[in-house]
Amino acid sequence: MGELTFAGMDGIIILTVFAIIMLVIGYYSGRGEKNIHESLSGYYLASGNLGLIALFFTLFATQYSGNTIVGYAPSAYRTGFSWLQSISFMTIIIGVYLLFAPRLYVIAKKRNFITPTDWLQHRFNSKKVTILAIFLMLWGLGNYLLEQLVAIGQAVSGMTGGTIPYQVAVIAFVLVMLAYEWMGGMKAVAFTDVMQGLVLLIGIIFFVIGGVYLAGGNFTEITRYITETEPAKTAVPPMEVNVNWFSMLVLVGLGASIYPHAVQRIYAAKSEKTLRKSFARMAWMPLLTTGLVFFVGIIGLKLFPGLEGNDSEQLVGLMANKIAAINPFFYWIMIIFFGGIVAAIVSTADSVLLSFSSLISNDVYGKFINPGATEHRKVMVGKIIGIIAIFGLLWIAWNPPGTLYEIFVLKFELLVQVFPAFVLGLYWKRLNGKAVFWGMLLGAIIAGMLTFSGYKTFYGIHGGIIGLAFNFIICIGGSYLTSTSVSKNKVLEEDMNAVSIKA
Amino acid sequence: KEVKEPIRKKWIWIGLVLIVVGNVPWYFSEGFVEPYILGFPLWAFIIFIFSIILCAYLSWVCLTQWKIV
Repeated sequence: MGELTFAGMDGIIILTVFAIIMLVIGYYSGRGEKNIHESLSGYYLASGNLGLIALFFTLFATQYSGNTIVGYAPSAYRTGFSWLQSISFMTIIIGVYLLFAPRLYVIAKKRNFITPTDWLQHRFNSKKVTILAIFLMLWGLGNYLLEQLVAIGQAVSGMTGGTIPYQVAVIAFVLVMLAYEWMGGMKAVAFTDVMQGLVLLIGIIFFVIGGVYLAGGNFTEITRYITETEPAKTAVPPMEVNVNWFSMLVLVGLGASIYPHAVQRIYAAKSEKTLRKSFARMAWMPLLTTGLVFFVGIIGLKLFPGLEGNDSEQLVGLMANKIAAINPFFYWIMIIFFGGIVAAIVSTADSVLLSFSSLISNDVYGKFINPGATEHRKVMVGKIIGIIAIFGLLWIAWNPPGTLYEIFVLKFELLVQVFPAFVLGLYWKRLNGKAVFWGMLLGAIIAGMLTFSGYKTFYGIHGGIIGLAFNFIICIGGSYLTSTSVSKNKVLEEDMNAVSIKA
Repeated sequence: KEVKEPIRKKWIWIGLVLIVVGNVPWYFSEGFVEPYILGFPLWAFIIFIFSIILCAYLSWVCLTQWKIV
């Protein structure tokens, strides 16, 4: 995060205020709600009772982390106008939701699903498919959580001018997060997301206003300057960049939409109407978030020309220093904005941790280790394993891995392999468990091997997409070669027919 | 008489075409940089407009074409 000129005591005050607000929300979310700690649905899905405002903001704050700002602005700086793809890939996530959310919501409510793998278990009735999906989802969530933990430490220590060391910063916010999550579960997470999402949104808007003011207020002049100094950043992208762009749209669109914590928000909606309204509003958020962050990166090209590699990662901090120096109003706005970045990272981390915990509690423990355990016991096991897991990840976070983007791609590469089972399974009755298992396994192996052997992209196409193509071929080919699974299961057949509307 | 989807397939296909055709700059020649429109190079402005259309389209599909049982 670099040296922030507005860091120090003021930053500590704002962070402390945010932390206290989160704890108070957590306390009131859990107070008087006995059901929260006694049932899986109560703790992990807020009893499937999230209204429009809570659902919209929890979808928003979970999908847009602080990394969306800290990581994407430098990406726009490095790649130029090609980073417009970030608006498209965040929008496509909503499009992919529309492929499966209307159908899945109806079945999930009817069958009381808690985790995404409940659907896979219900659909394929295959231990192998369920275990492999749990593994891939835990891998994706673990990586995502690790990324958030690294970012929390860097953001807080940067914001407090090093007054609060990196490791202390991470532990302090992890403890705050664990406390409010323990008290209120999904309800606390969703309500804190309202606060965290609002602060982030307002902060981004003022950040762009400050940036445009500093750059002279004329966006055309900024673009003309970039064309003169770095013409590749305004030029029409070559074909390989376009292929990579499209591959990124598919990878993020399919991968992010089946994130376990995203799917659980679909389950948690109060009604289908609430879900529909939330998605309709979410469709506009890429323009207001990744769109504005894109402008930050482009403005940065004029304000701070010539930043290379890791130096460009400091862009948001460098710009914030300049904006804070405009006048006292912007000084405080920047402090609140950076507090908002920390809050946004926490809001993503808490959702991921809750989902990680639910996969352990409902799937690993509840399905395979002790199926007869009470729901209260399952919830407790999930909470405790979640805490152990987060401190395990903290141990890794003390030595932050490469750049954030590298980790970001790696988690999608594997997670996206669950997509055919998850979505094709909703539409195609012939799809069967054997084909799904081998498709998912081979897809994950290909994606993992390509990524780890340095062939992250092949002619611009991501390794995860190549793995996914093989995955789909095996799923479809294998299902045609073997017998159908749905027609033997009357309950499942009834479920899959019930989600269609009879005319 | 007929079984319908919560969201009819044609709306999904239209969305897919919007994404593939409108949100990736496949078809621009090298000269599509000037004139700048609202500060965007010409090709980027067209992609940006398609991004807005996609957002509006998805929002419209949610609000008007998602049939609830």
